Amino acid sequence: MNARRFPKLVLFVLAVAIAIPSARVRADDSSDAKSLRTIVRELKRLERDRSHDRDQIQRLEKRVDQLETENAQLKASSTEVKTEATQTAQVVKQIQTQQTQSQASPQEFSSAIDRYLGSHTFSVTGAAGVDFLYDQQPHAIDGIPRGSQNTFALDWEPMVLYRPADWILFEGVGSFSFGQNGTGADLSLADFQIFLNDYVTVVGGLFDQPFGDWYENQSPMWVNRFVTAPLPFAVESVVPPAEAGIQLRGGMQWGAEGQDIDYTMWTGTGPSFSEPVPGATVSSPTPIRSAQTNGKSFGGRLRFYPIPVDTDCGRLELGASTYNGKWMGDRWFTSWGVDFNYFKGNLQTRGEFLRSYRSMPTPFAQDNREGWYVQVGYFLNGLGQGFLPEVVQKITDKTELLVRYSGVNQHSVAIDDITGAAAVVSSGVQVGLLPDFGLSGSPALFAPHAREVALGVDYWIAPSIVWQNEFDLELPRAGGLFTNANGTSLPVGSTPNDRAFLSQFTIGL
Amino acid sequence: MEPMKTLMIAVLLSVIVAGPIAKAAAWAQENASAAAQAEHRRLFRKGAKLWPVYCNTCHNARPGSEKASYEWDEIMMHMRTLGNVPPDDARAILEYLKTR
Repeated sequence: MNARRFPKLVLFVLAVAIAIPSARVRADDSSDAKSLRTIVRELKRLERDRSHDRDQIQRLEKRVDQLETENAQLKASSTEVKTEATQTAQVVKQIQTQQTQSQASPQEFSSAIDRYLGSHTFSVTGAAGVDFLYDQQPHAIDGIPRGSQNTFALDWEPMVLYRPADWILFEGVGSFSFGQNGTGADLSLADFQIFLNDYVTVVGGLFDQPFGDWYENQSPMWVNRFVTAPLPFAVESVVPPAEAGIQLRGGMQWGAEGQDIDYTMWTGTGPSFSEPVPGATVSSPTPIRSAQTNGKSFGGRLRFYPIPVDTDCGRLELGASTYNGKWMGDRWFTSWGVDFNYFKGNLQTRGEFLRSYRSMPTPFAQDNREGWYVQVGYFLNGLGQGFLPEVVQKITDKTELLVRYSGVNQHSVAIDDITGAAAVVSSGVQVGLLPDFGLSGSPALFAPHAREVALGVDYWIAPSIVWQNEFDLELPRAGGLFTNANGTSLPVGSTPNDRAFLSQFTIGL
Repeated sequence: MEPMKTLMIAVLLSVIVAGPIAKAAAWAQENASAAAQAEHRRLFRKGAKLWPVYCNTCHNARPGSEKASYEWDEIMMHMRTLGNVPPDDARAILEYLKTR
């Protein structure tokens, strides 16, 4: 090795030895600086975040303070409201207490008014009507003169109801009419009704004969769908139209709602007749000949309703009646009848059949008679909806079409009853029977075997205001006798096939 | 002294009993009122169902507004007799007619 080169080498080695750590230190210094800068940035970011969070916290603290303040205010308000509500309730209670203590309740007020006005109440209902009748009589009947005629007739039948208490009612019906007979006034009904309990009502006085359905329920002029009565209840009635006496009656439900049964029992003055001859007009309670009204009557009627209301199958009524009494000493008059009535929607049908027997003095055989009617009515409302013009629809909606067939069979008719009904005299000659309210005046009605087809068109202005139009075809069958007062009988010959038109405007009050 | 004592006991007992009795009376009155309202609702519903059926059986059913309440009282008595209407049915129809 070169001595001169050795120090240099040593120096070089030393220099390198010194330089290498120094370089490493310089490299380390550079890396730390970067880290420091990163840390500084991080610290600054954290500082910013902290500052931001501090601001946020301050804002939230302010908000919390604000909400707490608002909450406190709300609490205060709520307390105030509660206090006011409590005070108001107390005031209301005080007022109510004061009112209860010092003033009348509505019930007390009503009671006081009732005491002032009284418990008795009084009202007038009934019916009134005006009637136009045209009767065409082209044929004679066994020498009884007649002629076509037309006339107006008026009738007012006020019904007075007087209710002294909830267990008693008085009713009276008068009849004031004006026709070709002039003005007439009559007391049709006058009775009191005492409601003993739920099942027994006592009726006493002058009342419609509770026989069948017609006299009691269908005879008022606004209730009857036709202007005239069916033949068994018209001029040659099979049972008397009224009675003076006393009734017991009531009704009860025997099954579901609408399944009812009702009864009527009565006793009264009894039947009387215009003549002691077959076919004489029957009457009660007014004795047509007082000497012939000796016995009292008794009657009974039962009606049965089999269809429940909820079945929506309509309402069917089936009834049976009997009326019996003595006349002219110990001679019996007996009668029975059955009736039905079915109603559903626009359709209504009803009918009755009745028969009577009268024991007669010598030399007459038993006087039997029978009568019937069947009636069908149909309301046109709803019919033709959609295809009929509106004007026509308005008319048909209030229109009811009706048809009725009725008849009476009896061996004989008392001739005096017919002539007694005829009082229109011209130069001493009788010119026809008298039309009157509800009566066309046709002599065909007095035939022993009277038959009638009635066609009706009713226009209902309101449930109890109606304009009725009726066209009658009188079609009596031949046969039977006319008997005069001394008992002489003549066979009835001709059968007058009259036509009659009746138009009536009537209102149920 | 003895009657005075008895009187005081009686007064005391009356005061003690009066409160519950008054409360019972008020309760009974409230119950009666509620029962009356329930009965009215029952009769009205029944009357609404029976009115068109029963009345139309003989004649057109007339609306309740046609007559005053007291008049319906009278007319319904008349109709109850004439139609022999069962008593509860008559009450229901009357309630219905008077309410309308």
